[in-house]
Amino acid sequence: MLSVRDLGITRTRPDGERVAAFEGLSFDVGRGEFACLIGPSGCGKSSTLSVLAGLERPTTGSVLVDGAPVTGPGPDRALLFQEPALFPWLSARANVELALRLAGMSSEGHDDRASAWLVRMGIDRAADRQPHELSAGMRQRAALARALACDPKVLLGDEPFGALDALARERLQGVLQRERVERAGETTFVFATHNVREAVLLADRVFVMSSAPGRLLEEFRIDATRPRSLEDVLVSRVVSEIHDLLIRQVEGP
Amino acid sequence: MADEPIRSAADEPLNGEELTAEEQQVLQNVAAILRRIKFGTVVLVVQDGKVVQIEMAEKFRIR
Repeated sequence: MLSVRDLGITRTRPDGERVAAFEGLSFDVGRGEFACLIGPSGCGKSSTLSVLAGLERPTTGSVLVDGAPVTGPGPDRALLFQEPALFPWLSARANVELALRLAGMSSEGHDDRASAWLVRMGIDRAADRQPHELSAGMRQRAALARALACDPKVLLGDEPFGALDALARERLQGVLQRERVERAGETTFVFATHNVREAVLLADRVFVMSSAPGRLLEEFRIDATRPRSLEDVLVSRVVSEIHDLLIRQVEGP
Repeated sequence: MADEPIRSAADEPLNGEELTAEEQQVLQNVAAILRRIKFGTVVLVVQDGKVVQIEMAEKFRIR
């Protein structure tokens, strides 16, 4: 279980002015659930993810993973960025193997485990290629394989599909929907996105944030079978509701 | 609000007609959801004249 309590970050501008990036965020995400944070640009989604990952300390509040406070990065949480951040001099397979070693997983069977995850992500044929030899979608699949191979309790994603073309994005959304089902109860997913359709396709729970400083406005709990499709009645209706809510945030009342 | 008629795609409600066991099961499932949620959407997916899935989205105002 991931618990976020009264979380906020206030930053100091060069002129000394103190500005809240986001404030008062409180929510729980159950083990195995998929949650998405969505909101207008600058609402603090990425900053929230940074705090959950332990890369940044909050000004107020706390984050707990299974009751343990987050005080820094740790192997219980993996983070996917918009850019896959693979080591450029290592092959896709070696990137996964290195992560397994750094996570302290027994070195026995690293090769098998890495290979199995590359197969699961559909990039086994490119396992020995370096990142610059892979397409953007394949690089993100390799990053996903690297993250999930280490069995994190929480997988965080900061707009991980933001830089992909529509087709690659759609395919990765399909992969993640499958992983959400197959890893039910093992990994909790928390993604930040500004793409409403992506949030509703992927998430069990969508948290909608206000314009800066970001606060939680509404939560949508979506109980629909997977794989979901944008043509599903429920999906399209929730997409439309969240879209209207965000438009009101951007344009004002 | 409570006095407003429910907008429904049904031509007219069933009146005094006995429901089949299957219909009762569907309605009991829907009623269980309706007792739980305050704001949201419930969708019945019908295939070949049978409800094969009941999906829902619940909305919570946090402000």
